Amino acid sequence: MLAWTAWDTGADPARFARGVPWIVDFLRRMLPPDLRVLPAALVGAIKTLEIALLGTAVAAVLALPLGFLSARNVAAPPVFHPARAALNFFRSVDTLVYALVFVAAVGLGPFPGVLAVVAYTTTSLAKLYSEAIEGIERGPVDAITATGATRLQVLRFGVLPQVLPLFLSYVLYRLETNIRAATVLGFVGAGGIGFYLQTYLRMIDYPAASTVLLVTVLMVMVVDAVSSRLRARLV
Amino acid sequence: MIEVAGLRVVLPPDVVAVDGVDLVIRPGEFVVILGRSGAGKTTFLRALNRLVEPTAGDVRVGGRAVTGADPATLRALRRQIGMVFQQFNLVRRASVLDNVLAGRLGWAPALPTLFGHFPAEDRRIALECLAQVGLADFAQRRADTLSGGEQQRVAIARALAQSPAVILADEPTASLDPALTGSIMDLLKTIRARRGLTLVVSQHQLETALAYATRVVGFRQGRVVFDGPPAALSPAVASTIYAEEPRRSPQGGHP
Ligand SMILES: Nc1ncnc2c1ncn2[C@@H]1O[C@H](COP(=O)(O)OP(=O)(O)OP(=O)(O)O)[C@@H](O)[C@H]1O
Ligand SMILES: [Mg+2]
Repeated sequence: MLAWTAWDTGADPARFARGVPWIVDFLRRMLPPDLRVLPAALVGAIKTLEIALLGTAVAAVLALPLGFLSARNVAAPPVFHPARAALNFFRSVDTLVYALVFVAAVGLGPFPGVLAVVAYTTTSLAKLYSEAIEGIERGPVDAITATGATRLQVLRFGVLPQVLPLFLSYVLYRLETNIRAATVLGFVGAGGIGFYLQTYLRMIDYPAASTVLLVTVLMVMVVDAVSSRLRARLV
Repeated sequence: MIEVAGLRVVLPPDVVAVDGVDLVIRPGEFVVILGRSGAGKTTFLRALNRLVEPTAGDVRVGGRAVTGADPATLRALRRQIGMVFQQFNLVRRASVLDNVLAGRLGWAPALPTLFGHFPAEDRRIALECLAQVGLADFAQRRADTLSGGEQQRVAIARALAQSPAVILADEPTASLDPALTGSIMDLLKTIRARRGLTLVVSQHQLETALAYATRVVGFRQGRVVFDGPPAALSPAVASTIYAEEPRRSPQGGHP
């Protein structure tokens, strides 16, 4: 099977080897980075951060009702099954594909980027939320029910305290992956640092492109470090 | 206080956990439900406030029907019935005080509680109940930082915070160090004396049942096989309660 895929994709070590000098040349031409474009790169980086932050925050909230509706131990089967199916369907579409759709719908710029992040993250977080909800301890839920609490109070006092730390850690994790995803949204016109990268590459201005790349890498590393430190505190 | 007639609970797939129980519990009684593992004690207690849905029969609490009650009536009835569990069932990550405050959920205005707001009076009651179980200084501790015995006290405070007429306690000492059994049972006894509560406590330990109960109800295979004062529980009767016998249903997981 693998051999066939290798043949079908034209995978060929010799062909790769012939490409290596070209890659080396490409890297050489990227150096030294052209720091004059640093301000532009930083503006792009901030846009990317904004897209990821806003998109993730909105999705974190929108995913709440969806998460509960697609948890087997909370929702009734007639609700749970369609909700779960819808999640699985929409979750299989990537952020970049959503971006193409939203750019066509609302035009160029960071806004379709935000929409794309919201669309993907809502369903993916809802899935994670629902799994967390399904993993809760039954005991505290029984205890809260026995006090005469309403269904909503049972969710608020029996379920939420058990799952909230998990939810927050999933949101942070999604924020990390969304920042990475948002760096390429600019390629399809959905704003952020990817737009600058693509522009400089098109202009064959490799030193400028390398500055943008460096800023991207640094941004992702900083966000990852901060976020994973926060996550470690949660659990 | 509690009237049970023809109560039957069949659990999936086809385990008859409670098999036709008739029982009238009068106000102020300290009833110990005695029975070996799998006798149906837990299921019986959980059927009283419909944490488990009875298959047939009637349950009344304070003269009002629990079985067949609509959701609002059921909540009003549950609020009168405090419940204490073998595994404490505290919300581990929440503070001790928040756990006890949960006992006020049936009384406080519902909408504000969803935002974590309880009236000052409810907070006062919660703190008072915490003091009553001897844990006034633990209010701000996270529940899972307490020892098992302390956690069960918090759970008792939560039940007390409901200002209940009845407390159902399902083997409240079974997951504790045997040395703590006495202190938890003593606490329940004190509370009953002070508040005039009705207590229904399940136990598998005979000595504990005899020491605390005003009335012992022996369960065996989902049926009542003894009902009377502890003094009337002869060794012969006790041995019928505890005698080994295969379950009627092959699915009834207990050996
Ligand atoms: N969720 C369940 N599904 C199916 N059968 C169950 C369930 N819970 C209990 N049973 C069965 O119902 C019967 C009564 O169980 P129950 O837990 O009420 O007994 P118990 O007297 O509380 O026992 P223990 O002393 O072990 O707690 C047992 O045969 C048990 O296997
Ligand atoms: Mg039990």
